[in-house]
Amino acid sequence: MSKWIALLLASCALAQDPRQIIEEVQRRNRSQSQRYEGTLTVTSAKSRVAEKKWRYERIGSFGDSKAVLRFLDPPEVKGVALLVHNHRERSSDQWMWTPELQRDRRIALQDRSTRFFGTDFSFEDLEERDVDQFDFKLLGEEKFDGQMCWKLESRPRQNKRSQYTHSYLWVRKDLFVFVAVEGYKVKELMRRIAYRDYENVKGLWTAKTMEVFDTKRNSRTTMKLEKLEYNIPVKEDEFTLQALRRPQ
Amino acid sequence: MKLLRLLSWPYVRKHKLRMLLTLAGIMLGVAVFVGMHTANLTIQSAFQRTVDRIAGKAQLQVSAGETGFPEEVLERVQSSREVSAASPVIEAALSTSQGTLLVLGVDMTGDASLREYDLEGEDEDVIDDPLIFLAQPDSMIVSRQFAERTGLERGSKLTLKTMGGQKTFTIRGVMKATGLATVFGGNLAIMDIYAAQAVFGRGRLFDRIDVGLAEGVSIEQGTAKLQALVGPGFQVEPPQSRGTHFQSMSRGLTVSINLASLFALLIGVFIIFNSFSIAITQRCGEIGVLRALGATSGQVRRLFLLESIVLGLCGSLLGVFAGLWMARGIVPGLAGTLQEVFGHALSADEITISTPLAALAVVIGVLASLVGGYVPAHSAARVDPVKALLKGRTQVLSEGENRLRQKLAAACIVGCALLLGLGNRNEYFYPGYLLGIVSMILLAPAMSMWLARALRPILKLIWPVEGALAADSLIQAPRRTSATVTALMLSLALAVGFAGVSRAIYDSLLDWMNHTLNPDLYVSPSRSITAKTFRFPATMGDELRALEGVEEVQPVRNARVLINGAPVMAVSIDIKAITDRVRVRPVEGNREELVRLGAQGKGVIISDNLSLIRNIHRGDILEIPTPRGVLKLPVLGSSVDYSDQQGSFLIDKSLFQKYWGDDTANIFRIHVRKGYSRDRVREAILKRWADSHEIFVYTNEGIREYILKLTDQWFGLTYIQLAVALVVAILGIVNTLTVSITDRRRELGVLQAVGGLRNQIRRTIWLEAVSIGAVGLVMGAAAGIVMIYFNLHMLHRDLGGLRVDFTFPYAFMAMMVPVIGLCSFVAAIWPAEAAVRASLVESLEYE
Repeated sequence: MSKWIALLLASCALAQDPRQIIEEVQRRNRSQSQRYEGTLTVTSAKSRVAEKKWRYERIGSFGDSKAVLRFLDPPEVKGVALLVHNHRERSSDQWMWTPELQRDRRIALQDRSTRFFGTDFSFEDLEERDVDQFDFKLLGEEKFDGQMCWKLESRPRQNKRSQYTHSYLWVRKDLFVFVAVEGYKVKELMRRIAYRDYENVKGLWTAKTMEVFDTKRNSRTTMKLEKLEYNIPVKEDEFTLQALRRPQ
Repeated sequence: MKLLRLLSWPYVRKHKLRMLLTLAGIMLGVAVFVGMHTANLTIQSAFQRTVDRIAGKAQLQVSAGETGFPEEVLERVQSSREVSAASPVIEAALSTSQGTLLVLGVDMTGDASLREYDLEGEDEDVIDDPLIFLAQPDSMIVSRQFAERTGLERGSKLTLKTMGGQKTFTIRGVMKATGLATVFGGNLAIMDIYAAQAVFGRGRLFDRIDVGLAEGVSIEQGTAKLQALVGPGFQVEPPQSRGTHFQSMSRGLTVSINLASLFALLIGVFIIFNSFSIAITQRCGEIGVLRALGATSGQVRRLFLLESIVLGLCGSLLGVFAGLWMARGIVPGLAGTLQEVFGHALSADEITISTPLAALAVVIGVLASLVGGYVPAHSAARVDPVKALLKGRTQVLSEGENRLRQKLAAACIVGCALLLGLGNRNEYFYPGYLLGIVSMILLAPAMSMWLARALRPILKLIWPVEGALAADSLIQAPRRTSATVTALMLSLALAVGFAGVSRAIYDSLLDWMNHTLNPDLYVSPSRSITAKTFRFPATMGDELRALEGVEEVQPVRNARVLINGAPVMAVSIDIKAITDRVRVRPVEGNREELVRLGAQGKGVIISDNLSLIRNIHRGDILEIPTPRGVLKLPVLGSSVDYSDQQGSFLIDKSLFQKYWGDDTANIFRIHVRKGYSRDRVREAILKRWADSHEIFVYTNEGIREYILKLTDQWFGLTYIQLAVALVVAILGIVNTLTVSITDRRRELGVLQAVGGLRNQIRRTIWLEAVSIGAVGLVMGAAAGIVMIYFNLHMLHRDLGGLRVDFTFPYAFMAMMVPVIGLCSFVAAIWPAEAAVRASLVESLEYE
């Protein structure tokens, strides 16, 4: 009984501090490494569908992780890779590797608002939202997709360059995971990301489907995660530009 | 106005042809002014429009002249908080069957925030798949216009000549025919910048970075911040500055156009003067009657001035339209020439019509007409009613008038000499030039009379009676003759001036080529040696050296850099290697020292024209902006070098590679080993790179021919003006002869009545016309000498800083003798026929 009371009290305390909610989300999602194969399906406003497959590997966790995303399909883009170095104190560094050209290019901070290779994600949407880079405000509690959620508002701090003036986040109260994120530019809703099909993989609740909707273009991109693994052995030097340039 | 309707209009109706000829005179003068300026304006505007449209929302551009700069600079620019977007650009022109295709290499990951790619088809996608576009180096987006012209659509293949030989590109997007896609007449293609680097042999360099500033950051703040960030070796400027640099490069053309337009208008003034003098002669009786009836001299003056205004207005308006039409014809040639000379891709499809220019042309035309009509109007106002009844008397210049002109001319000559002697500054030179022209004009009547008198015995020798009559007609009517002769003199002076200058430049160029261009072969990545689209990798030099028969390979890399805001050509060479084969002829400095210190990278050798244009001399420090900061090098001396109109400097390639991080070459100079056939080596080079590179191998003669052809093209622009000037002058001859016949109608009638044959009348008029031509030719040649003198000085001081020797264009003058003779004769045919066909009775009744 006392355990339940303690949990309830902790929940109440968390409910008063939005920052702690996000920290808890991140804490619960922490892993040494991650790997999955993703399928991206872009459905345009005219119902034109394009599909791409990639493999994603990450080392480290929120705030100081490094990730490599390598396209597997279609054949024209096979081998194209994106290297992301996330930082706690500032925006991430991103590089793209194009094997046909044997060239890497840096994705400039200013370009993070642009679309991620024709999908409805922007480069910024692929960054990790470190708790220190935003100010959070708890707006209340509401049901989202039948689940009780906290609704929070996040605003980028001065050192964070963002295309969004503010975002609304819905966090499931029972699992401490994101259910939805809406990015705004002043009053205009730019993108809505929905997280679905949560599954517990090695103790980590992970959304296996993510869907982003671009309100301006009226198109949506669905990302499905397969072969998801956590805490697998990966080497730090696999997440460098040199490794990116190595033939796969 | 009433007098205009009652007196002037009936006269115009009665002398339609003369009025038309007069109108044509002023019209052509204005047409040359409008045509040449519109053509120049069109080119400049097209360049600026291209720059603006390509720049899109970019507020600033970071560049390092034409040399390009290493990629690392991009990160520095992107790191600035004042920057909201920074996108690297490579701009290049490719030859296609549909003309020049402007290719923009951009980084599509972030470029859309600076440029709007208005794509067709999928409204949400810039291209079919942005990832495929970036992943595949053969990706290209083209404009709708280009796609239509070449029958391309999404997925089509397009084969183009690139550094790597023929390359096939895949069209992955088609832009709508608006905004950016209209650049360069729609001949626009976009590709990924890193693919463009490979295609154009740019290594790891960018041409420039287009920058959008963060909200609230002003252009001044952004410029200051970025300049501090990238260093003084870079230019941080608004995109419009590129237009200013282009204007600066083509300044020579603008000055030539202004000069030619001035002369064309001056010639027009004389046509008006001539025409009005004639009109006054013919309307002497009318004026006498008017004065007798109480008209004041002021009213008569105003009447004629009003006539000149109306005529000037009509001629100018027609001239504006003719000029626009003329510009339409000139622009393609002009654009082609400027593209060849400056190596900048140019395309101008539409004529830029400038209302202020048209208005200015009309004002100038009317003013010219007023100036031309002023002296005749003044004479009309002072006409003596008694003399007015004696036809022909008003054509006589009084001794007093003659003396006054001569005194004024002498004063002008003294003034001109004084001004030129005062110093070399523009404030002295140009007024001196003007006084020189005025003195020639003032001396023209007296000189034409002296020459006509000198011609009399010669004419009498040809046909005694006709010759004497023709000469007397000229001598007795100096006012009538001198205006035409002056117009012809000015036209020829202009022509001789240009011909003299072009001859002098030709001679100097040949001399320079003989000393400098001594390699057997030149290997260029483009047909045009001035184009800088492609560059060879440094490794190609070693491969060339390895070919059998090749003794020496000298890579040359040239590109313009901005020194004190104006473009100057940097020529990077191995100074030691080249000076072993080319004997440098210093204008300033010691040869041995130039070569030794230059090769050690301890200084630069500047071209003589750079020294003259910028007043830079031996010992001065040249501050050269480079991607690694400002390189301060002493000027070791100067030598004659025609690499660029705005000047150039030679820098050792080791220094260039160090400071620009660029070891590519625009051209390879090749010396063939003794005993080997130059043609076989040429074939070997072509064969070796036939599959991998697009190359052009010029022989020594070929390169000289190319340079001379380019020079011809440049001078070709002035030929149009000369032709118009001559046409205007010939119109003057027709006009003069028509009046001469009218004036002498009774005299010619009497001649026929006493048994003069029609052929004799014809011959008299023919001789008169040819005499006018001959007098004009002699005076034109004399005035031409003065023109050459002034033009060479202008060329030396303001146009190209060229130090060329005075050369009289004998061949051109020899060509002009039959041309002017023939034109004069042709001009006389109709008046002569009119004279012999006139009714004898009416002729005798005349007066």
